[in-house]
Amino acid sequence: MKNFFKLFKHRKQTVQGPEQASMQMLLRSVAMTDEQELSCDEVYALVDQFAEMVKRGEDGSGLMPMVQKHLNMCPDCREEYEALLKMMEDSTE
Amino acid sequence: MSERDNETWIEDLNTPGPKQEAALADLHITLLKVLPRALTRWLSPDDPALEMLVEDTAQDTLLQVLDKLDTFESRSQFTTWVYKIAVRIALTELRRKRWKDVSLDEITETSGQDTAPVFLSNREHDPESKTEQNETILHLKAIMMEELTDKQRQAMNAIVVQGMPLEEVARLMGSNRNALYKLMHDSRLRLKRRLEMEDLSIEEILEIFNR
Repeated sequence: MKNFFKLFKHRKQTVQGPEQASMQMLLRSVAMTDEQELSCDEVYALVDQFAEMVKRGEDGSGLMPMVQKHLNMCPDCREEYEALLKMMEDSTE
Repeated sequence: MSERDNETWIEDLNTPGPKQEAALADLHITLLKVLPRALTRWLSPDDPALEMLVEDTAQDTLLQVLDKLDTFESRSQFTTWVYKIAVRIALTELRRKRWKDVSLDEITETSGQDTAPVFLSNREHDPESKTEQNETILHLKAIMMEELTDKQRQAMNAIVVQGMPLEEVARLMGSNRNALYKLMHDSRLRLKRRLEMEDLSIEEILEIFNR
C-alpha cells in the first residue's frame, strides 16, 4: 500500500500537476456545499426509504433533496446506496 | 421462502422458537443470494474472499437485525432495511481491509505550504497563465491555512485529494464517520464563506485552472 501511494503521488506529480488537480476537486466540493446538510447517520436512517422511492420510479431527489445532496457529497454513503440498489434489484429477480 | 409482510417479519423474529428460526433462515438465504453481486465492484466473483465475506456479513447482519428490531419503523420493506444493514457491514469490512496499511502520517498533507506549485504537464501554457495559476493556488492554500484547523486540513486531504473513505479516515483519527462528515461540512462552509467574503467566484477560479 505504501508503494502504491508513492507511485500514485509520483504519477500525479509528473503528469497532472497535483496542486491544480487537488484544488479543482476541493473547489468543486466547496461549490456544492449548502448551509444545512444531513449527516451520515440521518441519511442512513432514510436511505432504505429513498432507495425504494427511486426503485419505484419516483423522483427521489425532488422528494428527498437533502438525501440526494448528501449522496452526491459523501462517497461512503453513495457507495452503500448503490450497493443497496443492486441488492434490491437482485432480490426481485 | 414464505412471503411475509413487515408485521409478520417483526412478529416472527420476536417469537423465539421455530417461527424465529424460520425467519432467520429465510433472511440468511436471501442475503447469500443478493450480497455477492452487490459486492462484485470490490471483489471478483472468483475471489475466495467473496464467499467468506458474504457468509460473515450474513451472520453479522442477522445478529444486528435482532438487536435493532425495535428501531425498525416500517418506512421501507423489512428486507430493504435488512439489506441496508448488510451493506454497511460488508463495505465497512472491505474498506478496513483495503486501507489497513495506511497510517495517519500518510494522510497528512506533506506538500509545503509556501512552495510554489509546478505544472510539468502544461508546457504549452503561456507563462502568464502559469503564473496566475500558481498565485491562485498559493492564495487558496493560504486561505486553507487561515480558515481550517490541522485536523480539518488533514481530513480534507485524505478524503478529497487521496480518495480515502470517510469511515477509514475517521478510524485513523479516532473519530467516527458522522462526526467526520460534520467536520468536512464545516470546513467546506468556512472556505465557501471566505471565498464569498473576498468576492472570489469558484467558477472563475476553475476557469483560471483551465486556461
